[in-house]
Amino acid sequence: MNWKFTTSHELFDRVNESGLSFVDFLVAREAFYSSSKPELVRAEISRRIGITRASLDRGLSVPQRSFSGMTDAAAIKLKEGARWPVEDEFFRLALTYAVAVNEVNACGGKIIAFPTAGSCGIVPGVLWAYRDAREPELSPDSPRFQDAFIVASAVGILIAQRATLAGAEGGCQAECGAAAAMAAAGLASLLGEDPQGDLDAAALSLKNTLGLACDPVAGLVEVPCVKRNAFMASNALTAVSLIRAGVHSIIPFDEVVSAMKSIADSMPASIRESAEGGLAKTRTGEMYRAKIR
Amino acid sequence: MAENTAKLFDILGPVMIGPSSSHTAGVARISYLARKLFPYPFEKAKVSFYGSLARTYRGHGSDKAAAAGLLGIPPDDERLSNSLELAKEQKLDIEIVPEYNSPERYHPNTVVIELWGMGHYTRVRGASIGGGEIRIQSVNGYDVNLDGSLDALLIQHKDEVGVIAIISHILAANHFNIASVSSHRKDKGEEALLVIEVDGIVEPPVIMQIQELPSVREVVYIPSISSIGGN
Repeated sequence: MNWKFTTSHELFDRVNESGLSFVDFLVAREAFYSSSKPELVRAEISRRIGITRASLDRGLSVPQRSFSGMTDAAAIKLKEGARWPVEDEFFRLALTYAVAVNEVNACGGKIIAFPTAGSCGIVPGVLWAYRDAREPELSPDSPRFQDAFIVASAVGILIAQRATLAGAEGGCQAECGAAAAMAAAGLASLLGEDPQGDLDAAALSLKNTLGLACDPVAGLVEVPCVKRNAFMASNALTAVSLIRAGVHSIIPFDEVVSAMKSIADSMPASIRESAEGGLAKTRTGEMYRAKIR
Repeated sequence: MAENTAKLFDILGPVMIGPSSSHTAGVARISYLARKLFPYPFEKAKVSFYGSLARTYRGHGSDKAAAAGLLGIPPDDERLSNSLELAKEQKLDIEIVPEYNSPERYHPNTVVIELWGMGHYTRVRGASIGGGEIRIQSVNGYDVNLDGSLDALLIQHKDEVGVIAIISHILAANHFNIASVSSHRKDKGEEALLVIEVDGIVEPPVIMQIQELPSVREVVYIPSISSIGGN
């Protein structure tokens, strides 16, 4: 069996050759690479989904305040905030959850880097918010909920293999941008889109985060990372809203990933996680850097 | 990371203690492995941070991550956040030193761990290369390149004819598939270091067998990261 692919085109070829479904192929591939069994891979996915929920619950129940003072219980404020201009519960929860998970990371709590620590709130934020707001009866252990995390991971694999998921290499388009594309694909799959549709949603989202700078204040994973998790959650919701209305990406997913790679290659080092440009170099950014030194 | 074998659990993972995969999780892994390869209780430990780690270790909790590893706390264990307090309670002497001048050959995120105990000393240099991935680059002055993906044996031995053949025979007889072998020596006829990565988990009796060879001075066993959690 051939498990290798780089583009999504090749991935679909491998899936067709295997006779497995899209997600079952990915689970079987993981079992192959880790010398494990598909049911054990599924069990581990389930355990990791459980960890995302634990981070989320922690961020919503215990005010998260960081050593630098830049992270200050924003998730609790969002949870209790009563003046939402957009009142939809799914939307509200997605933003709140994304921040909750990422604040736990900023404050040294347990999280799953998905795909990275600085972007860890986006996919769990969107997928758990959908479940809680729209289908509270959907069991987190159900294959359908798991499959959404697997589809999201597939998008991450495709980006990792042809571009990058490291802010130091590709700026924040590679971290929060990638996570938003992953969340869009995962949500599309929960809503019943086929894998092509899921990738189309990912393409729309990724197109709209190209070139995003990684310029963290004082080099810490807090500003702009924590709040950006909320913004990127809404990016994913926008992408899936367009797809559901039949509005598709003109540029196919694989080509968007190529564009992301070429932009990464031409990005100055000052906005690739070096904390030597952008927000990190603002007056206030420098003030925080001096304060924590 | 641009390779065509990115795995699902590379994306949905690692399970880690925040805030940074490179500055927290990577350091925790290096420190944990460094502690594992020093088979004695330690009396003193020195952790030196280089490059970006020297400048941002406090905000990233890299000091906590390093102390956790030295306490044997795995990288995905929440006790990592309280490791400095735990070390104090256990009266462990752990010195944290930011080194602002980094040798050119050092990776931009480098940590050096030195341990003293029972008359022994070890020095491990590791690089945290992103996403929680690490490389152990130097052990006791020998250059190595271990990513922690496989179990590894570091065998310090006299540079004599046939030593490597005997050791590989022992591993084969115990059904271990050797994934990589590299040999490092200081000077001809002097001490040499053999680094062997194997598929599977090496059990103590096999290590004993190698340790008992007359030309072998010391065997250090480094478990793979997958066997310590937080993968």
